[in-house]
Amino acid sequence: MKKNKLLRIPSRGLILISLVSLVLGFILAYSYSISSAKRDQISTNTVYFNEQEKYKEDLIEQKERNKELTEEINAKQQEIRDFEHSFANSEESVEELVKEAEMLRLLIGDIPSQGKGIAVSLQDGAYNPSQENPNEYIVHESHVFKVINELKISGAEAISINGQRLHSNSFIRCTGPVITVDGKTFPAPFVIEAVGDPAVLLASVNLGGGVVDQLASDNIVVTVEEKGKITMPALRDDKN
Amino acid sequence: MWLPLLGLILGISLGLLTDIQIPDVYESYLSIAVLAALDTLFGGIRAQLQQVYDDKVFVSGFFFNIALAAALAFLGVHLGVDLYLAAIFAFGVRLFQNIAVIRRIILTKWSERKKE
Repeated sequence: MKKNKLLRIPSRGLILISLVSLVLGFILAYSYSISSAKRDQISTNTVYFNEQEKYKEDLIEQKERNKELTEEINAKQQEIRDFEHSFANSEESVEELVKEAEMLRLLIGDIPSQGKGIAVSLQDGAYNPSQENPNEYIVHESHVFKVINELKISGAEAISINGQRLHSNSFIRCTGPVITVDGKTFPAPFVIEAVGDPAVLLASVNLGGGVVDQLASDNIVVTVEEKGKITMPALRDDKN
Repeated sequence: MWLPLLGLILGISLGLLTDIQIPDVYESYLSIAVLAALDTLFGGIRAQLQQVYDDKVFVSGFFFNIALAAALAFLGVHLGVDLYLAAIFAFGVRLFQNIAVIRRIILTKWSERKKE
């Protein structure tokens, strides 16, 4: 009886039902394919995540290895220096060369430096409402250059800015209110430390019409103090 | 009877072959369309069993329900209210009711046949 009724449906109705089943099939299959695609995506995401974790672990391992190697290099360097020192004791002429090598090593920041020295701190001038341009009273990299050049001329062995030691290829850039030293940014106040003979350094910095006077006329607060002991690590230690 | 079956197979193959990516926002539309289609399908089966089937009602209901559900979802997305939940709720309840009615009719017929 049911069958008869089904057969009695006119062909127009049959076509309509076919259309309905077509749409139904499409919707079902489409949503199925979309959700399965999403599942695939999730599983690939976890794969990527695991890979990333693995690379991170590799990186940490490499860093540790680098650290070990750095320590090894430091030890070897020390060995060479000791060897040179013992050599210098025996031969007078070589002593000069050893000293020169020492100076050059200090210059490129290869070995730690410590000793007496001075610290010059540059601070932005007090805010002055009558001056519209803040450039008139903040520390620029040119001021830092002046101090560093003066210190170098006066025979400073090693110089650092806010703890970042300078070497022969260092770069200093002005990046807005801060300065960038070898890729690291430092805000004011800038403390420039120099290892060397404090008497000479102080005298050259405080020369009449010299660096301190010039900076003071640029509305910068300069304080110079003598330091009994300044320690600067070898540059390689920070490079990791 | 082979024509609706052919349509179903064609539809499924079309859906599996389609490689269009739709944004995540519109995925709720699809789920609602699925629900609406299923609801209308079971409604049609129930009507057939109760012998009140009319293909005009069935076909118009199928497309109208899908369109209404999509419109509700669209409105909900744009109003920031999860209006598609209303559609899911309504269709879900009706789906269960329809299936329950179908089950009862079949059970009654079965027991009647057993008595004979």
